[in-house]
Amino acid sequence: MTQTNRISGGLVDRSKTLNFTFNGKNLQGHPGDTLASALLANGQRMMGRSFKYHRPRGVLTAGSEEPNALVQLRAGAHQEPNTRATVAELFDGLAATSQNHRGSLETDLMEVTDLFSRFLSAGFYYKTFMWPKSFWEKVYEPIIRHSAGLGRLSGQEDPDIYDKGFLHCDLLVIGGGPAGLSAALTAGRSGARVILADEDFLFGGRLNAETFEVDAMPGSDWAERARAELTAMDNVRLMTRTTVYGAYDHGIYGALERMTDHLPTSSGKPRQILWRIYSKRAVLCAGATERPIAFGNNDRPGVMLAGAVRAYANRWAAAPGKRVAVFTNNDDGWRTASDLSRAGVTISAIIDSRDGEPRAQIPGATVAMGGRVMDTCGRKGIRSIKLVDGRTIDADCLAVSGGWNPNVHLTGHQRGRPAWREDLAAFVPGEDLPAGMAVAGAANGALTLAAALSEGRAASEKALNDLGISPNGGDMVKAEDEAADITAFWHVGESKARAWLDQQNDVTAKDVKLAHRESYRSVEHLKRYTTLGMATDQGKTANMLALAIMAECTGKTIPETGTTIFRPPYTPIAMGALAGRARGKDFRPYRLTPSHKWAEEQGAVFVTTGMWLRAQWFPRPDETHWRESVDREVAGTRGSVGVCDVTTLGKIDIQGRDAAEFLNKLYVNGFAKLAVGKVRYGLMLREDGMAMDDGTTARLGEHHFVMTTTTANAGPVFRHMEFCRQCLWPELDVNLISTTDGWAQFAVAGPNARKLLQKVVDPEHDITNEAFPFMACAELTICGGTKARLFRISFSGELAFEIAVPARYGDSLMRVLMAVGEEFDVVPYGTEALGVMRIEKGHAAGNELTGQTSAANLGMGRMVSKKKDCIGNTLSERPDLNRDDGLRLVGFKPVNRVETLTSGAHFIALGKSAVMDNDEGWMSSVTFSPELGHSIGIGFIKQGSERLGEVVRAVDLVRGKDIEVEIVSAHFIDPEGERLRV
Amino acid sequence: MIINHPLLGPRDAQEFTYLGDASLIDRPDWQDENAAEKFHDYLYIRDNPAGQHRELWYHEQGDRSWLVVTRDTLTHEITNVELARDVAIAGGRGR
Amino acid sequence: MSEYTLTAQPALGGYQETFEGVSLEEQTGLAIVSIATPIGGEDALVKALKDGYGAALPKTGEVSLSKDGQTRFLGMARDQMFAIFDHTEPDAVDIVGGKLKDVAYLTSQSDNWVGLRLSGSKSRDVLERICPLDLEPSRFAEGKVARTSMEHMGVIILPDGADSFLLITASSSAASFLHAVETSIQNVVG
Repeated sequence: MTQTNRISGGLVDRSKTLNFTFNGKNLQGHPGDTLASALLANGQRMMGRSFKYHRPRGVLTAGSEEPNALVQLRAGAHQEPNTRATVAELFDGLAATSQNHRGSLETDLMEVTDLFSRFLSAGFYYKTFMWPKSFWEKVYEPIIRHSAGLGRLSGQEDPDIYDKGFLHCDLLVIGGGPAGLSAALTAGRSGARVILADEDFLFGGRLNAETFEVDAMPGSDWAERARAELTAMDNVRLMTRTTVYGAYDHGIYGALERMTDHLPTSSGKPRQILWRIYSKRAVLCAGATERPIAFGNNDRPGVMLAGAVRAYANRWAAAPGKRVAVFTNNDDGWRTASDLSRAGVTISAIIDSRDGEPRAQIPGATVAMGGRVMDTCGRKGIRSIKLVDGRTIDADCLAVSGGWNPNVHLTGHQRGRPAWREDLAAFVPGEDLPAGMAVAGAANGALTLAAALSEGRAASEKALNDLGISPNGGDMVKAEDEAADITAFWHVGESKARAWLDQQNDVTAKDVKLAHRESYRSVEHLKRYTTLGMATDQGKTANMLALAIMAECTGKTIPETGTTIFRPPYTPIAMGALAGRARGKDFRPYRLTPSHKWAEEQGAVFVTTGMWLRAQWFPRPDETHWRESVDREVAGTRGSVGVCDVTTLGKIDIQGRDAAEFLNKLYVNGFAKLAVGKVRYGLMLREDGMAMDDGTTARLGEHHFVMTTTTANAGPVFRHMEFCRQCLWPELDVNLISTTDGWAQFAVAGPNARKLLQKVVDPEHDITNEAFPFMACAELTICGGTKARLFRISFSGELAFEIAVPARYGDSLMRVLMAVGEEFDVVPYGTEALGVMRIEKGHAAGNELTGQTSAANLGMGRMVSKKKDCIGNTLSERPDLNRDDGLRLVGFKPVNRVETLTSGAHFIALGKSAVMDNDEGWMSSVTFSPELGHSIGIGFIKQGSERLGEVVRAVDLVRGKDIEVEIVSAHFIDPEGERLRV
Repeated sequence: MIINHPLLGPRDAQEFTYLGDASLIDRPDWQDENAAEKFHDYLYIRDNPAGQHRELWYHEQGDRSWLVVTRDTLTHEITNVELARDVAIAGGRGR
Repeated sequence: MSEYTLTAQPALGGYQETFEGVSLEEQTGLAIVSIATPIGGEDALVKALKDGYGAALPKTGEVSLSKDGQTRFLGMARDQMFAIFDHTEPDAVDIVGGKLKDVAYLTSQSDNWVGLRLSGSKSRDVLERICPLDLEPSRFAEGKVARTSMEHMGVIILPDGADSFLLITASSSAASFLHAVETSIQNVVG
């Protein structure tokens, strides 16, 4: 097939031919073509089937507002549905297929839906699928699912990569048409930092689509000259193929740059980049979008917007038809007739809804002033049009212009409302613009060339003045304003056939009228009931017509009827671009412990706790179940000695003359009298009296403490402490800094812990029980002089220490501890064994510190000092937190020891039904205790500490369990704490 | 949003975490006669203005300072940013 | 006496790579000491800095240099700065303490952080993908420092040459940060 509709001129590079396929058919185009222009050049009018009625559809527009020509691009995992052919740049080897038909595009089996259209009007879902109820799941939903959507996803993982980034500028110019180029030239020449972004691959906007002159040269040449000048400026960043899709607070804009969509492959580079642009000022020069007129069968392939027809002819040298008719309510439509006629295309008729004299002489064209198109004929594309006066005129393309809507979208992203301008019959930006934004050119209602150029310059100069930069824009460019008279005309009332408004969602004028009859008055309701404007094009070509018809129905004016709210994004964005790099393992960063590499070598199984990756257990080759490993690690620790990397616990270095006083106010228990060289357990409350976090704090010097927090709360506790320091007690001399990452810290636990450590601690340091008792701490040296910190604290209930060295030595120390410990059969243990041992010892952890448990609930009510102020103490005295029947943390054993307890089970008295009214508390943590040989749990139950020995039921409705349990002390092991003091 | 940090200049709000009403600085005295009631009001009773709001932001990914930001809840316009420590001292805390 | 000695490991194994237009190198042996000003102790600290280092107290967001050019003081907060200098042993606190006496609260931060130097003509293009700050040379030149977040990780960034940046990031997540910078490099220059 040859390019039957290719005409002369245009901005396509005929020296190169690009091969591409459409539905498998081999076609040719040129660099500079879009897929739509190339298809038109090849005489392909029909490009897809409509969403609901499977009507044949062609291209309506020549830009990103396109509702109809949505195609599937590329193949395999790269396949992308719903791509607008109007913005898809042609490249060699491009493969496109049309969408939404069963069978071929020409003979779609689903076309029958069009015959049932009267059942598919607005709200048909709500009306049709109401009964019988049982049909919903089995009949209706599968049918709807099957017919939903347009294109198809590949079903494979997206193989492309995406990136994000941050840009900064004084002035962001959105849109590179005449106004935008003028604004950017002014600011660039004045030395401001400028970003000029345009969604097109060429700067120039309408200058490339028109035959206007600027500075006595063709407009497209002037645009190219401006681009070249701007490119040479270091202070200007030019971004083509970049859509500024959203205006956010304080001058922040979102932009999507398409890096490789115009290339056959991405070659390992990001396909698209999502930019966050920080601007001091912005000028919106987004142009205007032409709107159609509603009349019968106005959706047939060949019916196009007049400006688009002109753009295809002038820019892309593609004639959308051989016999073109024009239907317009304004002067702009006449330009389509004259430009195409000059290019040698036959103009069969010009129908102008306005009365008066013809605006131009077009050879051979029938002119109908005051005329209206009532209907079109032709099954796969138009062949002729019918006028209201009864005339039929042959045409294979009908260019329609109902006037232009300024692209005000971004002006409304901060909730600003547009204002109505009667002379343009269009909405223009209102007064309430996003801070720092100005609007210029067609987007501001300056729909003519000279006005656009001068507005762009003026808006730029004003922004520069605001920023204290003196404008130095050079000579004014010379251009003429073209004729642009319009008389509003929205739809042809005489049309009997359906008149389409929203072509992507198949919404007709009748649907709007029906919605009105069914009492939908607000435009927001109209939108949702009819789905008008809810497709991927957001109704850019549809909404105004619907508003006008709604206004007519209600007897209100268009501004009284109002618009729906504009929200980002301006055009669709791929989910992949929003995700950026945050996919798979790159979803978030990982924190690794100092012994991570060693643990990997041991084949450890890792678990994520917050951002940390921690060893969960260390399976041995003969172990087939995780519990074998964990039980062995627990038994090894309790039997001899185990080592666990506890670096993840938050460490906060606290120094200052008032450090002790500060801790006293932070913890419920006293710290002022803690001796140097000692460690104390501390409980922190929130101001509402609920437990926030717990941990140990060591006093290294008179004015120097080191606090540990739980792994999960390290960040929040630090933030809380800074709040207390800066906002509540600014008089206290205290300073905080995190040292979590700075120290590799290992728990060494078990009866042989001291013996092991004595082999690494340098001999001048006495760590015997007498010299270094339970809750002692010291700064000392190990392994021949390496500075270390030693704490005698225990989470496992065994004789235990935590030893810390600068993180750089962590890997080495882990290896040394394992080597030295060989004679004691030392075991490394992971978080799972840690958890088992803490439950056996009855220590509260994350499952217990839920933010809804008080000190009293945790059995630590008596720790809350009444003699001093601290965060949470006043409100912890609230009556409801001190009820006689309050929850208490206690232990539970299954009466039948072979039963397995489950956390989340609720406690119900024997013989009572398992309903909320009988709920007495819940099981928070459970484990199999290798020491006891059966399942144990800790949990909260009313008056628990007074009910030891009582039997209740642990009912777990989720897992279907109902087990009798005995209430016991939470200290399953060594309740007197003898082991840890030896 | 952009917060114009008094020491560091404009910074993206993503660097900050939000706490809430700046009245949280005015923690009651635990030894006051109606301490329980005052703490209740301090913690739970808040104005919810449609307009200017003084609120606490923490520059977690920055200099770790707490800031009092005056922000219009309707427009997000920020009219004043102060170091919370200065606000606290000026308000009599630490005396 | 223990028969074992401990060996130090750089967090990123001494990473060093050169790409087209940029190079990226772990700064091993970078000592960092946090210096916090006691309430009412600013004058004493100013004097001690001058006497001990011939350096001025840096404003928050700025860097001051010792007279011998070996130690940089980074203004991290109104009451806190970081001293950074080349020193391989973990006793940097003692060195700074020896110069400043008892006028400030010192905390070792050397092992909390990892330094990476990104340099070369494309370094700003690489950082543009992860750094929200404006790195334009006239606005963020040598003598400035900032702490921000890149790819959810806290980073201290300071220019230390015309097209060179020192990036200081938490040691536990340093591998993820390195990955983030390498990804940027691949995406930008390859």
